[in-house]
Amino acid sequence: MFRYPSLEDCPLDEDEDAFQALGEEDEDIDQFNDDTFGAGAVDDDWQEAHERLAELEDKAGSSREPDGPVGNDGDVLGDPEDALAERLTRLVIDNELEDPAIMQAVHTRDPPQPGGLNSSIWDSSAMLRRIRGPLLTQEMPSVSVLDYALPQRPPQARDEERDPSERALPRRSSSPIIGSPPVRAVPIGTPPKQAAIPNFNQQILCPKPVHIRATMQQRYPAPYGERMSPNQLCNVPNSSLLGHPFPHSVSPVLTHLQRAQLLGGAQAGRMSPSQFARVSGLVGSPLPSVNPKLLQGRVGQMMSPAGGFRAFFGAPPAPPPSQLPHPPGPGSHLQNLRPQPQMFRPDTTHLHPQHRRLLHQRQQQNRNQHRSLNGSGGDRGGHRSNHQEQIRKDPYANLMLQREKDWVSKIQMMQLQSTDPYLDDYYYQNYFQKLEKLAAAEEVHGDGPKKERTKLITPQVAKLEHTYKPVQFEGSLGKLTVSSVNNPRKMIDAVVTSRSEDDETKEKQVRDKRRQTLVTIEKTYSLLLDVEDYERRYLLSLEGERPALMGERKQKICDMYDNLRGKAPGQDRPSDDHFMQIMCIRKGKRLVARILPFLAPEQAADVLMATARNLPFLIKKDAQDEFGLSLLYLVLSRGEELQSSDTNTELMQDNQWTELMLMATRELLRIPQGALAKPVSIPSNLISLFSRYVDQQKLNLLETKLHLVRGIR
Amino acid sequence: MNYMPGTASLIQDIDKKHLVLLRDGRTLIGYLRSIDQFANLVLHQTVERIHVGKKYGDIPRGIFVVRGENVVLLGEIVSKESDTPLQQVSIEEILEEQRVEQQAKQESEKLKVQALKERGLSVPRADTLDEY
Repeated sequence: MFRYPSLEDCPLDEDEDAFQALGEEDEDIDQFNDDTFGAGAVDDDWQEAHERLAELEDKAGSSREPDGPVGNDGDVLGDPEDALAERLTRLVIDNELEDPAIMQAVHTRDPPQPGGLNSSIWDSSAMLRRIRGPLLTQEMPSVSVLDYALPQRPPQARDEERDPSERALPRRSSSPIIGSPPVRAVPIGTPPKQAAIPNFNQQILCPKPVHIRATMQQRYPAPYGERMSPNQLCNVPNSSLLGHPFPHSVSPVLTHLQRAQLLGGAQAGRMSPSQFARVSGLVGSPLPSVNPKLLQGRVGQMMSPAGGFRAFFGAPPAPPPSQLPHPPGPGSHLQNLRPQPQMFRPDTTHLHPQHRRLLHQRQQQNRNQHRSLNGSGGDRGGHRSNHQEQIRKDPYANLMLQREKDWVSKIQMMQLQSTDPYLDDYYYQNYFQKLEKLAAAEEVHGDGPKKERTKLITPQVAKLEHTYKPVQFEGSLGKLTVSSVNNPRKMIDAVVTSRSEDDETKEKQVRDKRRQTLVTIEKTYSLLLDVEDYERRYLLSLEGERPALMGERKQKICDMYDNLRGKAPGQDRPSDDHFMQIMCIRKGKRLVARILPFLAPEQAADVLMATARNLPFLIKKDAQDEFGLSLLYLVLSRGEELQSSDTNTELMQDNQWTELMLMATRELLRIPQGALAKPVSIPSNLISLFSRYVDQQKLNLLETKLHLVRGIR
Repeated sequence: MNYMPGTASLIQDIDKKHLVLLRDGRTLIGYLRSIDQFANLVLHQTVERIHVGKKYGDIPRGIFVVRGENVVLLGEIVSKESDTPLQQVSIEEILEEQRVEQQAKQESEKLKVQALKERGLSVPRADTLDEY
């Protein structure tokens, strides 16, 4: 704003009075508004400002080596920028704090410092690259593409554009959560933009003074030992399962929000002190009860994907998957991990030989307890040569760094976290149980080579209660209706109206009845699944709960039975109608078959009798159905067994059985050959069964029809 | 399977030659250099291969970045190029063949639609459906 030393200097002098009035007003305004017009305001004489800047340029220009004619000449824009750039590069946080995706670009001016082995070198692959450069030329003739392509870009420009953007990242993750899922400043897909390196690391790697370091110290008040990445927090209980439950472990019980915030904060590259307070607050909570089944197999699998993330937090270096239980956490208790009996060596060919060698040295320093790994040095040599060969043939290999691979697999592992693996991942768990049983059986039987089966340990997260409370603001009347993912608004008021009986036609009644049967089957199925699950829950539950579980189970079994037979039966169960309806449906038959083992003997007998009573009817229906046929055959064979063993003479005396058999044979004969379905298995004593009741001719017919004669299948 | 046994992961596939089938029907062959959690792929020295009958032609494309949702399937190529009963032809030729094939398809499609229309039936247009 232009300020004339006095009003008399104004060019337009015509109305002096008005101007003087203005001047008085100005003084008034001056008194009232210091910030705008008074001492607080900057004297905005652009000419003076320009001169000041020009002085700066001259200083900067003289300090640098003259670049030529362009140097100090009139190019006003170019020089201040360069000076600024220089200053910025000194100020900038070191190259390690970069996104693995963009880190390759920087070819820093720092001299490579390969000496600092005890620092976390792998936190920065840029650092690695610095090391790689000189060492590479010594060792390997062929060079990877990375060393060619990237250092030619002007690093200054990069630093400039990077630094302000990093500073400008908003702290969205600490905003109040109103009911929506927490907002992330940086989407979860991006690898860490900036790693939080502890101070000692920087002192070793970057000796230049950095103003920003001071502020970083303020930002990370928690001592190094207490800082844990969310992943470590999840890891830690798993590692504790290796036989070292320690009292003051960090529990994985972060609330959903906290974890998301931690992640969000982590993504943005900074952790606010409030988040750290929360994290450290969790340190004291007790360890939740852990699933003993997680003890099986390799925990190292879980450790490795977290490597990249740990590096991000500046914790002890990311262990490559080649090293098995490498203690990730900062606490010393975690270092007492004992290696599993079955060691497993993953494919390490993706590691650069330098990287691997340095890592190896590092492991040897850290792990004096893990003797078994030291013996594997020979193997490592073999891998290295293999890798050298690879890199000779494919100069573009390993563009994706180990850290990035760890990053991706860490994300994949996070998706596998679940509170109840048997609920979320039932088939996988069952499959692996079967496999392990097979393996155990094999081991028992033969002395075959022990195949190392690596099992994926999915971390089990404690179940968190999410009770949604609608947000409340103080001082407002009533509650807000905020609709979000977790709390959707009710759109439709659906009311169930039951129909009156008169209106229905016959067809509809039939249809409804069938539907009701289907519903009954479904309900009974749910009960059945629960009952089958009780055994597993029994094993997992505590002593006091077990009787209650048993009671529940019994109750459910009774319910199932009632469902099958029809509620509120008459004295004698006059009609098997309900049951028959169920048996007509294939799913119902399977249901009955699955329920039978659970029923009490009388109930089971009851069910079987009902089946037997209506067998002819069922046969007719089932002839097309292989499952039904199998069931039928089984029943018949069972009857045959009873007959032949002669234990149950009542059966013989009962004419019904004979009638039944006759009817069965009649039906079977009647059905044309082609239409007869092939059952799952045919019991072998059916021939003898039929031979009791039919003559030779029919017997032959039956035999051919049912492929009962051996050899015809 | 070393990274995560029991799961499907692309990490072990890195730096290997792959064939990738995209949702729009294109076939890409290249070295898989980088992935991410969405199965976005970076293919190096990519070649788009067009198949018509027993012939195929390769169009070199360079570096491809494929968004994960567009991938139908991908698999590692282990065998050598010579192990195939197909015959490689030049690009122009294969493009010509492809054009001819497309034309023939369109014509038969038109006839079909015509026939259906005569019978009073209609099939929704393919471009409103998600093909492949």
